[in-house]
Amino acid sequence: MGESLLDVRMLNKAFGTVVTAKDLNFSLYRGIITSIIGPNGAGKSTLINVLTGLLAADSGEIWFQGREITNEPIHRRVKQGLGRSFQVVNVFGNLTLFENLAIPVLALRRRAKGMIKSIARLKEVREDVEMVLTQVGLLDEAYMIARSLSHGDQRLLEVAIALAAKPRLLFLDEPTAGMNPVERSRILETIRQLSQTGKVTFVIVEHDMDIVFSLSDRVIALHRGKIIGDGSPEQIKMNPQVREVYLGEEVA
Amino acid sequence: MNQYWKYFLMLGCLGALVGIGFVSGPFVLYLATRIMILSIFALGYNLLLGRTGLLSFGHAAFFATGAYGLAITSIHISAHPLLGILIGVAAAALLSLCIGFFCVRHTEIYFAMLTLAFGMMVFALIWNLRSITGGDDGLYGISRTAISLGIVKIPIRKDYQFYFFVLLFFVTSVFLIHRIYSSPFGLVLAGIRENHIRAEFAGLSVKAYRLGVFTVSGAFAGLAGSLSALLESNVAPFSAHWTHSAEPVLVSLIGGLQTFSGPVVGSVIFVALREVLQRFTYNWMLWFGVLLLGIIIGFRGGVVGSISEAFRRYSRP
Repeated sequence: MGESLLDVRMLNKAFGTVVTAKDLNFSLYRGIITSIIGPNGAGKSTLINVLTGLLAADSGEIWFQGREITNEPIHRRVKQGLGRSFQVVNVFGNLTLFENLAIPVLALRRRAKGMIKSIARLKEVREDVEMVLTQVGLLDEAYMIARSLSHGDQRLLEVAIALAAKPRLLFLDEPTAGMNPVERSRILETIRQLSQTGKVTFVIVEHDMDIVFSLSDRVIALHRGKIIGDGSPEQIKMNPQVREVYLGEEVA
Repeated sequence: MNQYWKYFLMLGCLGALVGIGFVSGPFVLYLATRIMILSIFALGYNLLLGRTGLLSFGHAAFFATGAYGLAITSIHISAHPLLGILIGVAAAALLSLCIGFFCVRHTEIYFAMLTLAFGMMVFALIWNLRSITGGDDGLYGISRTAISLGIVKIPIRKDYQFYFFVLLFFVTSVFLIHRIYSSPFGLVLAGIRENHIRAEFAGLSVKAYRLGVFTVSGAFAGLAGSLSALLESNVAPFSAHWTHSAEPVLVSLIGGLQTFSGPVVGSVIFVALREVLQRFTYNWMLWFGVLLLGIIIGFRGGVVGSISEAFRRYSRP
């Protein structure tokens, strides 16, 4: 399946007696849009939190592009190209959209420590920000305060902030939750386009099965911290165990 | 507010400050100098509180470090004011770097309590190291000797001369802090205030930036401290007391945490009110508290914040 970007070995994570990852072993490959599905409490969000560094793993190893990152702090993982968006809107509420996106762009370009030169004079930062804003279709709102946007637009901004850090591997936690159909198709189109350029590999946690099956090349089904199905969307649709615990009501 | 208006206002203020320096008597000069020193302290402090969202109760320690740094230099090494200020600011920056290193690991109330604890330790050290700091007497007899720059000597002994000396530092501080507000570093600080987890996921080491701003604000506190030592010609240990740390907090709150000029306006109100009240009543702290209450409740977002909000609403078509 091509070159692996992220490798997970014997990963464990539990909260007390609630096991959210049990001896997980899998790899994620460049250019393959992967969806992670599973019922509520299956451990999808926890898995993303552990892989991106928000939570520490109990045991096991995480390797990203041939380097072990199990104990790396979040910002170092991001610098290496591991990005994420959040399930709930998690933007810089009282800043403008431009400023929201300038923050990851400055971090990426290593210009964030400057104290004297005004941001307005950093031309390449402005260009990068405007490019991302164009990508998600929010250029006209560049100087609006993020909090004043509609919920759907805030979700778009959420994804845009993650994209602005130029990730190689990007985890999107329910990217289309709360979006209207127009915004939804816009974000899905952006994901498809970026995936085709081969620069970003997407991993999506999603509840909407239409999106999962139309968008992804590969689906991983989780249940109580274990992988119960891993394969193409068709294989997952046919997988009896997956159908039993999850798809039962929706596909059968 | 329109950019031109802002520059116009700034120029107007600068003109007024220069005017005060030429025409005022010693008392007004003394008050204006104190206001400028408090403004430097509060402007630097508000980078931490208003911009980054971190409440510190330990900045009196850095103020005092600047003051004692200048005093000790002036008494034992050289009375050159610029050298004293340089050493005072450097010592304050170094101390805030060390204390900040431990404090920035925590946020909110834990951060505030840590800064308070460190501030108390510094106060205790100053109080007890009698041979160096003079203990409860403090250090006195700091003279404002002329600044010798090679062949020229600029005197700062007279009140109006020292006023212009402080004005120079005040204008420089305003300029520098204004630059920081519009710089990438300043934006990152606002990002950390708004959402520190997201800032981390934007690829920023939040702790390093918190430490950075802590040190910058500590250095400005040190500058204010060393200028104040020159103004009063003595330093007292209570300048390190944690109650003194409340001053920049109050001043920033009065003026407006989310505004650039808030701390300056707050300083004017703070110093002027206190001076007026002390004249009329022995119980000035009570009335001061009542007035503060009114300002903080009545002007949400501080004096500057609510005025510019009103201005924006009025000018909207």
